[in-house]
Amino acid sequence: MVNKFKQKAYMRRIDVIRRAGRSLSQAKVRTLLTSLAIAVGAFTISLALAAGAGGRAYVNQMVSTSGDAKSISVYAPMEDEKQSAQLLPEYGVIADDAATVGVLTKKDLVNLRAVAGVETVTPRIGFETQYVVTPAGKKLVAQAEVKIDQTELIYAAGTLDNFTVKEGQIVIPDAYVQQFGIKDAASAIGKKITLHVVRDNPAGGQESTDKTLTIAAVDRASDTAIYYQPTLRISPVDGESLYNFINAYSATKDTYYGATVQVKSGYDVNEVKTALEAKKYQAYSLQDDRESLLQTVNVVQWGMAAFGALAILASIFGIINTQYISVLERTQQIGLMKAVGMRRRDVAALFRYEAAWVGFLGGTIGVVGALLVSFANPLIANFLQLEEGTRLLIVEPLTALLLIASLMIVAVASGYFPSRKAAKLDPIEALRTE
Amino acid sequence: MIEVKSVTKTYGKKQNKFVALDDVSFTIPDGASVAILGKSGSGKSTLMHAMSGLDRPELGEIVVDGVDILKLKQKAVDRFRSEKIGFIFQSFFVQANESVIDNVSLPLEVAGMRRGERTKRIAATLESVELTDKSKSKAKNLSGGQKQRLAIARAIANNPRIIFADEPTGNLDSATGEKVEDMLFSYNKENGVTLIIVTHDADLAKKCDILITIKDGKMASIIDTSKSPDIPQITTRKTQL
Repeated sequence: MVNKFKQKAYMRRIDVIRRAGRSLSQAKVRTLLTSLAIAVGAFTISLALAAGAGGRAYVNQMVSTSGDAKSISVYAPMEDEKQSAQLLPEYGVIADDAATVGVLTKKDLVNLRAVAGVETVTPRIGFETQYVVTPAGKKLVAQAEVKIDQTELIYAAGTLDNFTVKEGQIVIPDAYVQQFGIKDAASAIGKKITLHVVRDNPAGGQESTDKTLTIAAVDRASDTAIYYQPTLRISPVDGESLYNFINAYSATKDTYYGATVQVKSGYDVNEVKTALEAKKYQAYSLQDDRESLLQTVNVVQWGMAAFGALAILASIFGIINTQYISVLERTQQIGLMKAVGMRRRDVAALFRYEAAWVGFLGGTIGVVGALLVSFANPLIANFLQLEEGTRLLIVEPLTALLLIASLMIVAVASGYFPSRKAAKLDPIEALRTE
Repeated sequence: MIEVKSVTKTYGKKQNKFVALDDVSFTIPDGASVAILGKSGSGKSTLMHAMSGLDRPELGEIVVDGVDILKLKQKAVDRFRSEKIGFIFQSFFVQANESVIDNVSLPLEVAGMRRGERTKRIAATLESVELTDKSKSKAKNLSGGQKQRLAIARAIANNPRIIFADEPTGNLDSATGEKVEDMLFSYNKENGVTLIIVTHDADLAKKCDILITIKDGKMASIIDTSKSPDIPQITTRKTQL
């Protein structure tokens, strides 16, 4: 007979969960209101995280189309400001190192090539044309740049091999097509542009030379690239020959305002950058831009999320209050449950599961709301005049699930004290008729 | 068999001490129908609470089938109630917003019964109290008599060995009350389940096999009114008041 009392008989968890769900559905309005309170915060946080994910994806995409990820721009070490501010240069006398301050020399190029992880070092050449001659024969004042790396271009017509300009080729921007007297981008391919450069002969007079190049492609602005300047682009070989012509008599011959370092595959761009900076050179990679942009995105994301968290905090007080009232209202019900032998911990569990349900509902409503807003991505991209197909709001499933789970935990924690009160009710007191 | 031995329950401290039960002792054989008769405040409800494990008197023993339930831990007392006891209250205490089925299901869930078995048991129980056609109705839509039948169904669903009924017909009219009484007594006789009715209604009390009178926390008398030879004769005892 004694054994009968020792039988394992306790309430099944699934039954507790079902009862919790049933008691919530019997108080539909109250449950909905409490869930909505959570949903507001959940929606805000979801949206913040979605904007963060979309923003980060956008930044990465922007950066990859704005330049070569594996190249580092290197410039001469910064002048010692203190020193140069104090000394007055003497009139008529050119300081010994005047020509080499702030520029890279051939020696620097050698130094750079010696750094571990450096594949190639290409000096940046800058020069001015006096004018360019259009296919129609008109002389316009326009500048040209050497395209040193494989930065992606958006073509309006034509194409390059690996985004590299070859010797004899030139790329013109879409913005110049009409001005060059060409009907449209497509018909520009194959036409010829002549660059006219001059130099002063120290012995007297001016010398000039012309270089004629064939249009291989026409490029245009994109909405996602960080930098875009319309300019004529020529190959490093052509650029160097023009540069050498211009500077043949000058003291600044064989000096460069900067260089582009290409990083060997297998090496980390940031590590190579640090090695260059250790040698006092100024080094910038696209990663710097990317990191600062990502930082901005993250600040915005966490800022928004903080507001959402505040909303959740406010709703917590609501949950606690609602749960206390619920316990009070159901005093007799709890008393009866205990009379039929329901354990204290199962009574507490019942109320905790109710709180968990509410957290689940609120979280789900909030996430679904953010998802619905993210369907408006095309509208947003259009409004901000971004490239078609850009998604600035990306709701990630795993993040959403984690958010809902966290909110359930928050809700259960809020319901802790009310459920303890329910568990401690004296069944006799609870069952007393008023 | 239920043995109540020298049970004493006191409320409050020092000056405000109130003795609800004062050295109460008696024995109830299995399968008997017992009335605990007393006026309001006599201690009859306290006695029921003590015997069913809802309350703990500080002195005495309550031995049910050989186990002193006052020596059990809370968890074991809860199990004892869920397996051995059914309750019926004056105010029914059915869960108004739940269906009849969910109401009857509660003690079965608490006892850990699986869903499949529960469904069968509930159906059989509802049939025995003639509430099958109301299975899906919400409890709040039942009449007073139907609610109490629901309460009976809930009380007997887990096949308890003892049923405690606290003024079961108090909130019912005489016709409905009689039907409920008949249901209780026939369940008691047919299943050999001990029925303990706490009441101030002397007429109802007379219908029980054993009549225990409580006055001011003390047992005033215990009378065996049954003629059945199976139930041992208990001598009439009258204590000085």
